[in-house]
Amino acid sequence: MLRATVKFLLLTEAFAVATFAFGWWAVPLLAFAWAAFVDTRRPVMFATMCATSAWIAVLLLNAARGPVDIVAARFGGVLGLPSVALIAITIIYAALLSWSASVVGAAVRKALFHKSAKDEEPAPAPQQRAGAREVAVADA
Amino acid sequence: MRAGFAALLLAALLFVGFRPVGQLPPVGSLLDPANGVWATARTANLPPLERGRIPGLTRPVEVVFDDRGVPHVYAATEEDAFRALGFIMARDRLFQMELQTRAAEGRLSEWIGPSVLEVDRRTRALGLRWGAERKFAAANRNSIGYRAIAAYADGVNAWISSMRPRDLPMEYRLLGVTPGKWEPIYSLSFFSKMSLTLAFNDGTYNRLAAQAKVGRAAADALYPVNSPIQEPIQPNGQRAPRFDVAAIPAPGPPDSAAMLALAGREPVLAALGGLKPNHNGDALGSNNWAVSPKRTASGHALLAGDPHLELTLPSIWYEMHVVVPGRLDVAGVGFPGVPGVIIGFNRDVAWTFTNTGSDVNDYYAEVVDDTVRPSRYRVDGAWRPVEKRIENYRDQKGAVIRTDTLYFTHRGAMARQLGKWMSMRWTAQEPSDEQSNFIKLGYARNAAEWLEAMSGYQAPTQNGLVADKSGNIAIRSTGAYPIRPGDGRGDVVRDGSKSSSDWLGYLPPSRFPYAMNPAQGYLASANQQPVDPRVNPSFMGSDWYSPWRAMRINELLRKDSAVTPDAMRRFQTDPGSARADAFVPLFLGAAAREDSAGRADATLKRAASLLAEWDRRYTTDNRRAVLFDKAMDELGTRTWDELRPQRDKGTAAQTLGIPESQVLLELMQDPTSQWWDDRRTRDLVETRDEIVTASLRAALVAALKTHGDPSGSGWLWSNVRHANIHHLTQIPALSALRVPVQGGPSTLSPSGGSGREGASWRMVVELGPEVRAWATYPGGQSGNPASPRYKDRLPMWQRGELAPVLFPKTRADIDPKRIVSVLRLDPP
Repeated sequence: MLRATVKFLLLTEAFAVATFAFGWWAVPLLAFAWAAFVDTRRPVMFATMCATSAWIAVLLLNAARGPVDIVAARFGGVLGLPSVALIAITIIYAALLSWSASVVGAAVRKALFHKSAKDEEPAPAPQQRAGAREVAVADA
Repeated sequence: MRAGFAALLLAALLFVGFRPVGQLPPVGSLLDPANGVWATARTANLPPLERGRIPGLTRPVEVVFDDRGVPHVYAATEEDAFRALGFIMARDRLFQMELQTRAAEGRLSEWIGPSVLEVDRRTRALGLRWGAERKFAAANRNSIGYRAIAAYADGVNAWISSMRPRDLPMEYRLLGVTPGKWEPIYSLSFFSKMSLTLAFNDGTYNRLAAQAKVGRAAADALYPVNSPIQEPIQPNGQRAPRFDVAAIPAPGPPDSAAMLALAGREPVLAALGGLKPNHNGDALGSNNWAVSPKRTASGHALLAGDPHLELTLPSIWYEMHVVVPGRLDVAGVGFPGVPGVIIGFNRDVAWTFTNTGSDVNDYYAEVVDDTVRPSRYRVDGAWRPVEKRIENYRDQKGAVIRTDTLYFTHRGAMARQLGKWMSMRWTAQEPSDEQSNFIKLGYARNAAEWLEAMSGYQAPTQNGLVADKSGNIAIRSTGAYPIRPGDGRGDVVRDGSKSSSDWLGYLPPSRFPYAMNPAQGYLASANQQPVDPRVNPSFMGSDWYSPWRAMRINELLRKDSAVTPDAMRRFQTDPGSARADAFVPLFLGAAAREDSAGRADATLKRAASLLAEWDRRYTTDNRRAVLFDKAMDELGTRTWDELRPQRDKGTAAQTLGIPESQVLLELMQDPTSQWWDDRRTRDLVETRDEIVTASLRAALVAALKTHGDPSGSGWLWSNVRHANIHHLTQIPALSALRVPVQGGPSTLSPSGGSGREGASWRMVVELGPEVRAWATYPGGQSGNPASPRYKDRLPMWQRGELAPVLFPKTRADIDPKRIVSVLRLDPP
């Protein structure tokens, strides 16, 4: 449990730092990389939760240092949206970016795994096959 | 299946993230919480302590922001101060600065695209950029003005290059653009744009169009060179307005010569900018006044500044205090994009301006060698080369979307329509150095020095008012007044093929309207004719604003022999109206005569009764001002029906405005003038009283229909007249709309029409041993719509209140409790 929490915090922080450093597009990039190259359980759900949490945290950081409510009201007004809707859209955008990128990443990983398994081990170990199936089922 | 869907979704999200879709900018960089629009929240509040670097700084500069968001700049040299000003103005107003510059140079399409191409083409056709380049090329590189704009550009560019992603203003994000490098010439382009606003109101077109319809004699009377009500800026020794009432000639037959002159030239005038709809002098205008110590309660001179301009968010002004120890200590407001204080005060003098509105541009019918692509134009039988200028217009991607060839004579920009060419000469495009004038004002130690600092000032002509600590007050209508040949008038189209049509020079300052320490003990200006023609007959313009505001402020100042700063403040939003004082009795008199003749119906009786209840004050809780307002509109429309276009929609004649209300008052003295006849009633010849009462009746019917019962809230002035302060992008969510304000047409705080114009800066200064000042403007110091400083001054402005201005002598004199932020700027 502790390990999972630490992993969650670290990935969330990574998403936040990447957003600050590189911009919004770092979210799908990191989510893809996480799902494609890190061997973990439920990578899609995990990446989506961490990316969403990261953007919420950054929004809260903004709110701590300035009038996010006024930004939401003014910017929402520009787009003809209520403030709450704008905040929701921002969070949903992060969630969709990370979800879609991590699903693609997981699919790539799966393809890579199968390819390398075929190349290197003609008869894969039952445990490995079970593990792969477990990931797929869990993310279904 | 799921991976395929996710891939498609990811592609779509990335597409809208990176690319604009329709009106929507790329949403990725917009919604990014770290660097996108949300990040503007982190820059909305001023940080307690911040540092920056500016190339070229000779010594560190400290900028202290007080609790009104006003920067107090402490620098070792003037250039360092202007570098710091560039840095902080860019930090607060970068989008506004760049947008204004692009508008002035005809480069909006590079941001917005082909939809604004025609605006850009018109701007460049006027030669605004051409004029700014002439000034820039001719500028003395050692002048304080040039050094200031160069240093200012250093500061602006230092800010731009040090910006973090979160510092990018929201508007750039919405447009999907980034800031460009700031060039010193941009400050001059801004001045050109201001000149277009303030010094482009000649009466050429109105007079010509009226002449074409009703003949020259009538046109001369409708758009007179001299105001029929004389209440000039330069006191003429009279203690009351003088009514130079003359009979207005009946509408004559159409003037074929004028029609010919107009034919084909209307589009040319439009292209050159001469077809602005007639100004409505009752609905806008600036005021200033100063009172000698002998008429103030404190025994110190008082000065009030009240320039009226288009109201925008962010405001057109930026408030500042600049200190260079031992040399410069000046506070007030300046324009974002321009270094220094334009209106303000120092330790010895205070000053402000109103627009003179003189005629400083003329049109010339040119003879060219080729009606399509001229290369020469003829003057005195000899050909002269035409200056050509290729103008490329670009879209957001930098692609050229249009190329124009512009032609210039020695007079200025030429335009062609229907095979005819016309050029325009305009003082605002002649080489000059107004920037130096404005900066030098800050060094003046008394009124005489201040007037000297304004010498050589060219455009736009301004009524500069100054008061000093010694108790002197002075006003001078300063600028370049062209001396024309012949009758000297500037409201005619002249023959460009003769050099004798050209200006002969400019009026010498000794002939400028001027007054210092007049016996009456006060001075005031409100855009009225500056000098009584009996005193100085020089042609300075025509079709002057009606002097209602001047009459009102002079009345208030005459009545008060112990004026206080607070009274000065109250005068700025005084709800009284000299126009109403003049016209209401005429409406009521006409109604009474119709009644006694047995011709008054119930509607007229009710209208007269309601109007009689009015106290002639445009207070927000007033329920009768609306009736008078509508009656005046009706009266103007019905009286001047002869000037209305004959269903020629789409032609330039649509823009012909009606004469000033002072001319209407003049006409009111003639009850049987042919002008009262309504052409729509072919079998009747109406008299004055019939038109006046018909207008009053119609006003009541319209008011009842629009606003309901006269005792209801619909008739409240606060529900009728509003200030509408639009954001520069015109986005309503970033604007302040339907702001109820005290005042109406012709009051000291005039409001009318769209509500887009009004008091852009209100200031009262007392020149005592310690200079004290109070001021505000409608908006706030920050251009960031998320900032608490974006429009924090608006409620105070709306109530007609002023805030005390902090004017500390030294950095140590600033109360620490009032310091919100400190910015330390260092050399690299």
